Amino acid sequence: MRCASGIEARQVDELAINIDPIQAGGRLTGDAMKAVIAYGDGYSVCDNCRKPNRLDYISKPPIAEFHKDVAAWLNMDAVRTVPGARRGFQAVAHTYVQKGDPVLLTSLSHYTEFLAVEGAGGIACEIPANDQHIVTPDAAALKIEEVKKKFGRVPVLAFIDHVDYQFGNMHDVKAIAKVCHQYDIPVLYNGAYTVGILPVNGKDLGVDFVVGSGHKSMSAPAPSGILAATTERAAEVFRTTAIIGDVTQRKFGIKEPEMMGCTLMGVTLIGMMASFPQVKERVKHFERELENNRIIVDGLLSVEGTKILSEMPRKHTLTRADTIGSFDKIAESHKKRGYYFSNALEEKGVTGVIPGATKIWKFNTYGMTKKQALYLAEVFIDIARENDLPLRT
Amino acid sequence: MTFQALFTLTDLRVILRETAPQHDLDEKQRVETQRLLENLERQVASLKQEMLK
Repeated sequence: MRCASGIEARQVDELAINIDPIQAGGRLTGDAMKAVIAYGDGYSVCDNCRKPNRLDYISKPPIAEFHKDVAAWLNMDAVRTVPGARRGFQAVAHTYVQKGDPVLLTSLSHYTEFLAVEGAGGIACEIPANDQHIVTPDAAALKIEEVKKKFGRVPVLAFIDHVDYQFGNMHDVKAIAKVCHQYDIPVLYNGAYTVGILPVNGKDLGVDFVVGSGHKSMSAPAPSGILAATTERAAEVFRTTAIIGDVTQRKFGIKEPEMMGCTLMGVTLIGMMASFPQVKERVKHFERELENNRIIVDGLLSVEGTKILSEMPRKHTLTRADTIGSFDKIAESHKKRGYYFSNALEEKGVTGVIPGATKIWKFNTYGMTKKQALYLAEVFIDIARENDLPLRT
Repeated sequence: MTFQALFTLTDLRVILRETAPQHDLDEKQRVETQRLLENLERQVASLKQEMLK
């Protein structure tokens, strides 16, 4: 069935359990799907935009209220919606980083954080993760000292991922932020895998900015996200325009240059807003998600030779598996090579694993029911049995 | 009425997602699906009446 010429209707999540590492937390709630139907037209949220003509002041639909609610929920002082977490990184980098400035990242930082630094002319200085793939406050302190020696000054900004995209490991942002603040370095908390997934309290973490991804973790359409700031930092990153046209003498009111005026003006924002009540509720029950993840990880580990490369026990549902010693052994001689594994998963109604991958791959178990988790664990065991792989008893 | 029917279909879509891939509905889901389908039939009947009068 097609939506339009050449565009097949997408039924991935209706037909299969989807464990794609980046898609699990962005699946829309039913309410978001309904809002998307009603607000699909371009500037659909702007019907009642009145002076001072800025998105976060619109009260119908309740966009202004949503901004306040998100700030309170994250225990931060001000929030703006942005077209993806990356645009939040970009706004902050553009505010604080000048050409040649050192900026603190980590060896597990997402590439968009690097691009935000590059775009502002900064120099990437990575805090190395340890051999357990964890970024520690001690490593942060050592790196800051190293940067001080090399550049004669401390980094102007730090990007710290609470849960990294490579291993789904959880890093001690609170302790790292404390170290950074001892050197007066503002800290951006990258919550692309946490805001909307588990409780996040910006003030308790002691960070200057919280960035979240709507389409990765808040059940919202892409591209969407949030940038939250403390009062002090909000005055800097959300400063208002001062430019005046030299011919027309035009000014642009309270528009914010880093936001390029208004940000999410239609279906992306309304989708994020519609999902928000359920998102607020679901973060309180993250332990259920970890329990489902444990069921699936146990299923995988029952296949002899399988390893989990992420920290154990799991603190997040994004997980990195190493099946070189199990499923990959079959790929060596199978007529479909590595594709036998993804094909077998697809045949059993599981999608989201990179086709052909049998060595090291990631999956995300977020958002499934317990029944689906039990089914998925059994699927891995079934595929092992079908291919005569030994099981741990 | 158009939105009501679309929203009912959306609720059915959510059930399909929650029960993928086997769509083996438990008793609660069967009752809910039955209710939604009956609503949908009523909503489509109203649409017919309103749009084709």
